[in-house]
Amino acid sequence: MEKLLNKNSFDSLITGLKKQGYKTIAPKKDNKLVTLEEIQDANEISLDHVITNNSIKEFFFPKTEKILSYTIEKNKVEMEEPEGFAVKSVIFGSRPCDAFSLPVMDKVFNWDCSDKFWVERREAITIVTVACDKCDSYCFCTSVGLAPDAKQGSDVLLTKISNDEYLVETVTEKGENLVKELESVFSDPPSGTPDRQVATVEKKFEIDKVKPWLDDNFQHNVWDEFSYKCIGCGACTFVCPTCHCFDIVDECTMTKGDRVKNWDGCQFTMFTMHTSGHNPRSTQGMRWRQRIMHKFKYYVEKFHSTLCVGCGRCSRVCPADMNISEMLEIISTDKGQPEPVTKE
Amino acid sequence: MNIGDMTDEAPGVRTFRLNFSNEEEGNKFQFQTGQFGLYSVFGAGESTFCIASSPTKKDYIECTFREAGRVTKALRELNIGDTIGFRGPYGNMFPIEKWEGKNLVFVAGGIALPPLRSVIWNCLDLRDKYKNITIIYGAKTVADLVYKDELKEWNARKDVSLVTTVDPGGETPDWAGKIGFVPTVVEETAPDSKDTIAIVCGPPIMIKFTLPVLEKLGFKQDKVYTTLENRMKCGLGKCGRCNIGCTYVCKEGPVFTAEEISKMPDEF
Repeated sequence: MEKLLNKNSFDSLITGLKKQGYKTIAPKKDNKLVTLEEIQDANEISLDHVITNNSIKEFFFPKTEKILSYTIEKNKVEMEEPEGFAVKSVIFGSRPCDAFSLPVMDKVFNWDCSDKFWVERREAITIVTVACDKCDSYCFCTSVGLAPDAKQGSDVLLTKISNDEYLVETVTEKGENLVKELESVFSDPPSGTPDRQVATVEKKFEIDKVKPWLDDNFQHNVWDEFSYKCIGCGACTFVCPTCHCFDIVDECTMTKGDRVKNWDGCQFTMFTMHTSGHNPRSTQGMRWRQRIMHKFKYYVEKFHSTLCVGCGRCSRVCPADMNISEMLEIISTDKGQPEPVTKE
Repeated sequence: MNIGDMTDEAPGVRTFRLNFSNEEEGNKFQFQTGQFGLYSVFGAGESTFCIASSPTKKDYIECTFREAGRVTKALRELNIGDTIGFRGPYGNMFPIEKWEGKNLVFVAGGIALPPLRSVIWNCLDLRDKYKNITIIYGAKTVADLVYKDELKEWNARKDVSLVTTVDPGGETPDWAGKIGFVPTVVEETAPDSKDTIAIVCGPPIMIKFTLPVLEKLGFKQDKVYTTLENRMKCGLGKCGRCNIGCTYVCKEGPVFTAEEISKMPDEF
């Protein structure tokens, strides 16, 4: 289904969503930082950025969440499973790269058994994506097979066609139902061919050349070279829409507590450390290798999908100015490739 | 689960016999030898241990652990009758049906006997299905040997050949077993590789030295099994922590053949 949405109708849109019982999450500007968060008014929405500081990941896979609560009374334990964590919401203003992370992550969260915390939120949240009309030098979605106006993962795609107007295309049944629910907010689609304003994202590397190199180079001095300046802060894993490693810990008092699932990251030293002190990934080079291998080889072998959407957040946020697309460019091209060194 | 019984096996090492708090759940519970679970002390957290008892024993499961960190310390502070949490069984199993009609050689070191104890008892409870059974087990010192009573039981059985050893310097004056590192003792014992399956479990360094010895004795890599460990949190293939290369130890393991291990990157 195709429709038209005018910026002047944002007010009615947000009011309409509230009336239909949706919580609305949208990009909100605070100084220079644009963050996806819950909004109450249309005037909080900001859409003139390249990409938000946070990805949509945290709305499906929160930074921290209770997976079990318990009370302890004289050696009797009562357990309670959490309910009501999946709140009917609309994310208005996701980017295509973020939206695509959802079907990618669906694979691991449904592998053999389903993670109900992920699945129930996926059902409760509708994604309205706004195609990118501009990009910056960190973007590389086209290098991983995506595009600034890609539809996969979205329920509705909005594409700018003038200063005030967006072409509205429904992608899924869920998206179509949402547009029908708020019919009065939208107007008829434009006649003729709309002038879609979509950014041109320069391709930085050939993804087809990456995995074959990774298959043969588990041992290579490049891993230490790439990660030499990495301080293991883990920021890259936190801002990444497809990083999903987590920790499970108990937080409690003497009589009650919660078992909690928290974001974790493979870049931390402790991530794989055994209680004995043995650490299969004891150097930052090994941990950096795991990051690249997981995203561009292991996930591909297991789930037939790259675990990266080319959003570039990891490189933007890195305090040591490490850049993943530069590394992938080195890996995938013949020139500038470091000499292989057999290393124990 | 509640703690039905406990045994101190060695310094810092204890076995729990766990009963199901909910009888109905207990009746429905089933597992296969080689699988593991996550045991928790509510408030301290979870720890991963294999199920050390055989699936042929109903009504209870056992786990053996060494006090080494936060959760195992909390486990050691518990008494008989106390409640702990358990989730499982997770992982794959030892394919004992494939081993029927063959000789079995079990090789274990130190605290790594518990994962093999489940499969040893499973096979002994189905003794007629297997030919010769040999167990080679060693620890740093005599005191560090676990399941001391069961070692005596296995030694007394005519249908089991048991070889025990301690590291040089770990013997006591009345020690009657061998003295030497496990890989060396395996080489000396020289079990016949014909029609034989080898099952090995030990600290990474012991496995790394024992696998070449078995190869030298003629064991093909697909006839040698081991069970691996890695730091785990979810146990179900979601949290991304326990993988060795492409393989998730919690889901595609922990039981692997030496052939499968030879294809994994050197990252464990």
